[in-house]
Amino acid sequence: MLRSAAYRERRGRILAASLTTAAAAYVVWKITESPDQAVQFAFNGLSVGAVYALLALGFTLVYSTVWFFDLYYGAAAAMGAYGVFYLRTSETVGGSHVNNPYVSALFALVVAGVVAWALYEAFFIRMQGRFTRKSLYIAGGTLTGATGIYTGFILASPDYLHLLLAPAVGATAAVVAGWVVSRVIQRLFSKAGRTTLLAASVIVGSLLGACCGLLLAGAPGSRLYLSWAVSCLVAGAVGVALYRGLYVYMRKRARSPLIMLVASLGVLLAITAATAIVFESAPRPLPRAFGSEPWTIWGSNIKGFNIFTIGVAIAGFLGLLFLLKRTSLGRTIRAIGDDEEVAKVVGINTTVVIAIVFFIGAVFAAAAGLLSGHDTAIQPRMGLLLMLKGWIASVVGGMGNLYGAVVGGFALGMVEQFGIWDLAGEWKDVISFVILILFLSFWPRGLLPRG
Amino acid sequence: MSTDSGGVGSLMRAAREPGVFMRLARGNLELWANLVVITWAVAFAIWQGSGFAITLGTVFAIWAILAVSLNLVVGFTGLLSVGHIGFFGIGAYTVAILTSNAQYEQLRTEAIPTFGWPFFAALPVGIVLAGLTAIAVGVVFNRFRDDIFVLVSFGFAVICFNVFLNSRALTRGAFGIHEIAKPEIGSVAFGSEVAFLILALVFLAVVVLISWFIVSSSFGRVLTAIREDERATEVFGYQVTHFKLTVWVISAMMAAAAGGLFASWTTFIDPNSFILLESILLVSIVILGGLATIWGSILGAMAFVLLEEGMRFLPFLPDEYVGQARQVILGVLLVLLMLFRPQGLLGRYRL
Repeated sequence: MLRSAAYRERRGRILAASLTTAAAAYVVWKITESPDQAVQFAFNGLSVGAVYALLALGFTLVYSTVWFFDLYYGAAAAMGAYGVFYLRTSETVGGSHVNNPYVSALFALVVAGVVAWALYEAFFIRMQGRFTRKSLYIAGGTLTGATGIYTGFILASPDYLHLLLAPAVGATAAVVAGWVVSRVIQRLFSKAGRTTLLAASVIVGSLLGACCGLLLAGAPGSRLYLSWAVSCLVAGAVGVALYRGLYVYMRKRARSPLIMLVASLGVLLAITAATAIVFESAPRPLPRAFGSEPWTIWGSNIKGFNIFTIGVAIAGFLGLLFLLKRTSLGRTIRAIGDDEEVAKVVGINTTVVIAIVFFIGAVFAAAAGLLSGHDTAIQPRMGLLLMLKGWIASVVGGMGNLYGAVVGGFALGMVEQFGIWDLAGEWKDVISFVILILFLSFWPRGLLPRG
Repeated sequence: MSTDSGGVGSLMRAAREPGVFMRLARGNLELWANLVVITWAVAFAIWQGSGFAITLGTVFAIWAILAVSLNLVVGFTGLLSVGHIGFFGIGAYTVAILTSNAQYEQLRTEAIPTFGWPFFAALPVGIVLAGLTAIAVGVVFNRFRDDIFVLVSFGFAVICFNVFLNSRALTRGAFGIHEIAKPEIGSVAFGSEVAFLILALVFLAVVVLISWFIVSSSFGRVLTAIREDERATEVFGYQVTHFKLTVWVISAMMAAAAGGLFASWTTFIDPNSFILLESILLVSIVILGGLATIWGSILGAMAFVLLEEGMRFLPFLPDEYVGQARQVILGVLLVLLMLFRPQGLLGRYRL
């Protein structure tokens, strides 16, 4: 056994090297044969790879923090796509009006629950000294109820999405602008008084916020892009609700990660089937986004939307990198990934941090789902396959490594697209799973192993 | 007890004594689950008439064969395989292609090769083919464990589905294969529903017997040892990989037998019967019934079939949503089981 382990490792390395060489030679041969088509395939590979990279990023973030496979991730991808569908049925081809008060109420309830928990975690303990418990409960309850009703309205009346969301976006812009202005003034004029600071930031912030809100309210064309944001946030909220409401209890009892995997498999099964009940299981198109007219560059069709997808993937990667490496939240996330018990002992509120991680992960999944949905079509079972692709991409890149997730995602997309050059397009799933098995057999640590 | 020789008297006393039945029933989940499901089945058969019960019984037998065979891998060996539907599909497609009817097939636009074999000649070929596939796949999969094994078994199911869907020259892709032969031995044809039910139950009995034999033999004990601690078993001198491969192949062959029965029973198959989701449903049946019990798997399959048919009669649920609603219920059940009873209803092994 011992002898064969070393032998197997050496053989594995030789096989991996020869396989890579063969693949590279094949690609080079293909490129020299018809460079025009090669550009087309490379671009397709990049745009598919961008979706895989997004999926792999979120997957890696969640996996390297809690170290179990959360299959809700696939459901989040499908929910992102179906959220857009749900909010924009009046614009889709053949989309009967599926907007359903029960569904809206359910998701409003979930969002309200998440908001209630977030308020409790953020303010309850801190404010207890200053206010009575009763007044805190009343204030929190009011805020929660207001958020729930607001969310319900947003989900239930998608035709007025831009009007309904204008105040929220305006307020967010106002707060952000005010904060930025106060920081800038503090940096430039260190002697500025508190009143000046407050006045300047309030004035600038409210002006900017009002401008944003008014602009949005006058632009009904923005509804599609607002529905992207709403469905991503809702998918994230469901992820947090699932973590806080289920996984927390389960992780206390679970003996092995397989239990978590099977439980989240149940979640995936239930959500997929519920999606099929609400929206029917036939594939549907999403409304046309910008840039769906192909341009011809070097004899190949290139869509602006796919370039946007690639941009989103890169921006997501950079944002996640910044979050993990430069902020204190990122440090706590990495600490939990290294050792959760010790992180708890050190005083990190692991439940809250992991909930944030689940939120971010679900948002990434939802973004990937809706971007790929705009590119092709959506159907309730798309989530499972998308999640598996994200999983494969993270295995190819190296489990638990952000750089690896991006590299793996793009590599997988490229290999898939170049692989179907000679085969038919239907074989691309087979190609990616064969790659997975090859990688796991000969290169189990991936392209860029975790540190 | 000893002084009273009259049977009736002792029975009466037993009924009056509070503890006798209660002691048997209390905490005996196995008994209760069996009672509930069997009562349900009998009530159903009486209510809906025998024809429906026979159809149900055949579906149940096929699912039960699958569940028992998967339990050998998941429950007894501890490898959570989600790719079992692939072997089921291999069996089904082999039988379908080998028994395909030349006269009927000529009418179709896309020609596939026709053989016109009898069912009982085609089935062994399907089983052997699945076994060979299982050997090839198992040699590769043997080194994976836990969640990585789950991932690659997902991959196996996806690859099988795509092969069924895309090798059109052999399977006619999404159009499927029609007119699959019914089994017959000499002059005895299993054309009627009852005859087919009996055949399916005989297959189930054989599979259960083989599984029971495997589980209670020393081979089965080694499997359990592998499940509990693979490294330790290896240290004791067992060739762990050989044991895992053997049970994997046996299980695959059983699934292929179920596939052949399924193809012959429905007389029409297309790739949609072998999607990944079906495989996940199968895993949830096994976990629902209980890991590492043969009876649990049978019970799980029965509950699964009854769940769908029972829900067909709910007034507020339209017919086309029954399958999806069953999936929702199974998903929720899976979550609840993992929370409160990770070994499944009757299981002896926790994941």
